[in-house]
Amino acid sequence: MVGLSLGEQNFIKGGIAQDLRTDGRKRLTYRPISVETGVIPQASGSARVKLGATDVIASVKAELGKPNPSHPDKGKVYIYVDCSPTAEPTFEGRGGEELSLELSSALQRCLLGGKSGEGAGIDLSSLSIVKGKVCWDLYIDGLVVSSDGNLLDALGAAIKAALSNTAIPKVQVAANASSDEQPEVDVSDEEFLQFDTTGVPVGRHYIVDATTEEESQMSSAISVSINRQGRICGLTKRGGAGLDPSVILDMISVAKHVSEQLINKLDSEIAAAEARDEEDEMDS
Amino acid sequence: MAGKSSATPETYSPSLTGQRKKRPPILTDSDWVRPDGRSLHQCRPAFLRTGAVNSASGSAYAEFGNTKVIVSVFGPRESKKAMMYSDTGRLNCNVSYTAFATRFEDRAPETKDLSSMLHKALEGAIILKSFPKTTVDVFALVLESGGSDLPVITTCASLALADAGIMLYDMVASVSVSSLGKNILIDPVSEEESYQDGSLMITCMPSRNEVTQMTVTGDWSTPKINEAMQLCVDACSKLGKIMRLCLKEAATAPQD
Repeated sequence: MVGLSLGEQNFIKGGIAQDLRTDGRKRLTYRPISVETGVIPQASGSARVKLGATDVIASVKAELGKPNPSHPDKGKVYIYVDCSPTAEPTFEGRGGEELSLELSSALQRCLLGGKSGEGAGIDLSSLSIVKGKVCWDLYIDGLVVSSDGNLLDALGAAIKAALSNTAIPKVQVAANASSDEQPEVDVSDEEFLQFDTTGVPVGRHYIVDATTEEESQMSSAISVSINRQGRICGLTKRGGAGLDPSVILDMISVAKHVSEQLINKLDSEIAAAEARDEEDEMDS
Repeated sequence: MAGKSSATPETYSPSLTGQRKKRPPILTDSDWVRPDGRSLHQCRPAFLRTGAVNSASGSAYAEFGNTKVIVSVFGPRESKKAMMYSDTGRLNCNVSYTAFATRFEDRAPETKDLSSMLHKALEGAIILKSFPKTTVDVFALVLESGGSDLPVITTCASLALADAGIMLYDMVASVSVSSLGKNILIDPVSEEESYQDGSLMITCMPSRNEVTQMTVTGDWSTPKINEAMQLCVDACSKLGKIMRLCLKEAATAPQD
């Protein structure tokens, strides 16, 4: 995707070794994040997140559905990511499919936790309406509009913001008929997960939030998802090169450290976005 | 497959005495008794054979308890004309399940996801520079899914690649653990997987002590991850030895 000359590659690697990246950031600093909620009126909830030049949109749609027979008291969540050709011309048609699948499965792993629901970011039993018969199905769609590295973190943040923006109607079940809906609005409330990406370029230093140029130089990366309590809810290793197990554990502890700041930052951004949203509604 | 040569399957267990000096004693409550009678840190006996498919460049069959996988490797073959020139080789992986592999009430697993994970697990081990402009195809078929499928697929694929004579940096062994409450179980069966709170899968190259793939789902604290990784890496190195033994036997067996 990005052609880098030898001089540029050495510049990037040398800079990282001295804790000074090409855009002036330190190794463990994130790019400024901006969050906008309620960008898609037809969806139950939506958000747009910009992380430097990376721009992603997440939308949540809720529909009534039937629960899985093996988990009758839980709703269902489907996560799908689409890489749009506006981000990269190679994403047209089937080109972006591999990346989309990789992102979707990493996000599913982090948000949906183990089979029994432990460690899930979304409390699936809150989506159940009538046990074994009716539940909410959440379709979470991510769209990559512009890609400059670190798509996973941006998507994670966008999904988190979209979920906190999601309003699902309250459902009351009449005694003998099938369910009726009341237009009362109930904000869906979730446990929160935060993402963090750590990259390992050659030179044994870890960087966080890589741009596309930096990503093209790295041999492997780990994406770790950590929740508020500091517990690890998901981990995906990306890239083909092998890593020593001690390096992985080291990266996990770096990720924990960075994620605390990220969670706070993201929460304040989301709150600010919601406040702006309400002001707009009251004005119009 | 039962009619083949009768070497007894080897059992390997990462908790052998003297191997791991600093592990604190795990309180194995009778909270979870494993359905097949293994202890918490004991893997299923492994049955590995190469040369299962005669028409392929290389192939292998692996049976870990009820999980039975056959993998065949074709190549290096000429890349499709539509692909661009590449001065390193290409790897193409495909995982599929037979229609009778799972019980009918289980959903069909996501094979595209498994194929891409297999690809990532293997690409770090293959010396791609040794076959430029060509492609190596790895086709895995799961005959019966009894739990811990992807690790078995990866192990079997690595054997098949070795059988095909593709140059590898090292064998690739893979093991997964499940966390059930406060217990950590190694090499879970499908029943244990359905109750698990979290799972951790590691694919590594034992002699180089390098992890090529790692996925974690569910809720883990750092000491637990530490312990689980240690268990997996230990089990992978023992599995690596068993794989090499299998290859040696195949090479020295009399031609019939």
